[in-house]
Amino acid sequence: MSTFLQACVNGLLMGGFYSLMGMGQNVIFGVMKIVNFCHGEMLMVGMYLTWLLHQTFGLDPYLCVPIVAVIMFCLGAVIQHTLITPALGTKSFTNLLFLTVGLGLLLSNGALVLFGSEYRSISTSYSMTYINLGPVTMALPRLISFGVLLVVSVALFTFLKYTTVGKQIRAVSQNPVGAEVVGINTKRIYILTYGLGVALAGIAGALLTGFYTIFPTAGASFGFRALIVVVVGGLGSIPGAFFAGIFLGLLETMVALFISPSYSDLIVFVTFIVILVVRQLIVLRRK
Amino acid sequence: MKQAFFKKAVSVFAALAMVIGLAGGLASARTVAAEEEPIRIGTIYAMSGGNAAIGENILRGIDFAVEEINAQGGVNGRMLEVVRGDHAGDPAQGKSEAERLITQEHVDVMMGCHMSTVTEVVAQVCTQYGVPMITAISTLDRLSDEDHEAMDYFFRLCPLNSVYVEDMLKYLKDASEQTGEEIKTIAIFTDRAAIGQELIRCVELYKDEYGFDLVDTIDYSSNATDLSAQVLALKKADPDAILCDSYIGDATLFVQTLKAQNYIPKMIVAKANGFTDPAFLSNLGAAANGVASVVEFNPDLLNGEEINAEFSEKYGLNMNGHSAESYTVVWIFKTAIEAAGSTDGEAVRDAIAELDIQGEFPGGRKIILPYDRIKFENYDLAGAPHFRDNTSASVAIAQVQDGEWKTVWPFDFTETEILYPAPLQ
Repeated sequence: MSTFLQACVNGLLMGGFYSLMGMGQNVIFGVMKIVNFCHGEMLMVGMYLTWLLHQTFGLDPYLCVPIVAVIMFCLGAVIQHTLITPALGTKSFTNLLFLTVGLGLLLSNGALVLFGSEYRSISTSYSMTYINLGPVTMALPRLISFGVLLVVSVALFTFLKYTTVGKQIRAVSQNPVGAEVVGINTKRIYILTYGLGVALAGIAGALLTGFYTIFPTAGASFGFRALIVVVVGGLGSIPGAFFAGIFLGLLETMVALFISPSYSDLIVFVTFIVILVVRQLIVLRRK
Repeated sequence: MKQAFFKKAVSVFAALAMVIGLAGGLASARTVAAEEEPIRIGTIYAMSGGNAAIGENILRGIDFAVEEINAQGGVNGRMLEVVRGDHAGDPAQGKSEAERLITQEHVDVMMGCHMSTVTEVVAQVCTQYGVPMITAISTLDRLSDEDHEAMDYFFRLCPLNSVYVEDMLKYLKDASEQTGEEIKTIAIFTDRAAIGQELIRCVELYKDEYGFDLVDTIDYSSNATDLSAQVLALKKADPDAILCDSYIGDATLFVQTLKAQNYIPKMIVAKANGFTDPAFLSNLGAAANGVASVVEFNPDLLNGEEINAEFSEKYGLNMNGHSAESYTVVWIFKTAIEAAGSTDGEAVRDAIAELDIQGEFPGGRKIILPYDRIKFENYDLAGAPHFRDNTSASVAIAQVQDGEWKTVWPFDFTETEILYPAPLQ
């Protein structure tokens, strides 16, 4: 029983990260209908930014979160304005696919040139602190990270639901032509959403540095899971992505616990395919 | 007419004299050259690309030995000279570099390489041209198996992969002498990639011979996002010792996750790789205390302390396994060439095959590695014939104590005791 509880907690703590990555991906997809294939690399950039801030100014990784978010937002906005918006005009999915995949390669190889292939980590006074709650143990950095993720998620919901800009973003995502007709500047919304999505990946990266090593290809496995989260949770749905992320985290640990850790990846991907097929069948039947 | 004849005769004489003089001069020049022409050691390592740092460490060991030998007057009165080739991690480039070194640079003997796949190709070229070759660090078992029996100019100094694992098991067996607790159950925790498969294969090969019960094998994909499920499975199996092989990112995450899941295994023994990466200690600090790993050399090894002091004074860093093994190979070549009395490929090859160095090199140091004999032999390894390996080769086990790697096994080569159970803090 205690192992089961521990596995639940582990799944929840990890699932939070998948959620955050998936939500960032979904904000972008919802509005522009493009899959951001460099989402994992953005997470890696967030990790290196946090590391740099920690090395140069001695900032605590959690204090870096807002700074990293702002820098990453700007980076995303610049990329959207200079690269993606022009490519959107071509209406070609392949163009955007190659653009984002290429950006990802550029970022990870850029990091390799700048920082080398060493695995770095940030150690703080509390990075080796563990909290015991009855039968369950949690690493303090993971717990703090999870807390911050929850706050960020709630803030994102509120922002999209109640603020004017949030409403504009949702309007563009539902009907871009209609939104333009009622006077919303869609190009500006595109810049905002891509910046927002990238900032969310950056936040995830900054939060990871508390307990994960930093290296140029660190984003790959997270980026891939973000894609699963988006597909399982529903393309464009923010709450869907949130719950799908948690579900993925729990699924991984439960499979490992009840079947075998060796099969956890396999079963996660099989589940992913099954969900895709079942959903397709339902859609077809409705038609 | 007479004058013309005289002139002709004089010029013929002059020409004759010149030819004779020239030939004499040339002959004397040649004998001088033979005395002074250095013995050329070809080396083929990665000097560019992602593995350049490894090549650099190896070459430091070689240069150190060459300087030492030249300062003593060289080999048979001839100096040693190193001719460097660069394989950049690519077997095709390794092959062309080997051909260049042999046919254009006329190297007498060859050393290499860092990656076993490249070593294999280079060894074939060396055998084809009859140039003796010794690898200091290529550990892949199959380099000396039946399929490579015909590569008879190729010798291996370092232990094989399966010897690494056998030594890990020997260590677990011997450790009870100091810890007072016998190890009965073991579990494997490793990468799903090739390194992990190799560890699993070797443990399966030897576990019964050493009487261990393998209770669980846990694997994961490289650069895992999370290892808590794997650690929970280990916790459930609760073995007396865990054997592991991981790259640095996963090795770091593994130890952190052990702490996070409140599971402190009594013994962790790693097959080097990520665990001996310098980043492992700097990432984890005190949390790494108690983790043990295979090492080919460690600065505190009783045989190696003296040379490490000289080496680190010269290069500003400690000697590592690669530099120590490469250093030793240069001394093997020296001893063999002296025994052969020439640099003729076949004679040197036969001398290497005959060599039996016990304790120390003639006119040199004690063997600086964790064993005291070097002899290349054909033998049976777990039922399969192997050829021209140094059968006495073994590794040492070092353990992180107070944030530093300390040799703890073989007991004859160290004064440090095993830290048991591993505190991980």
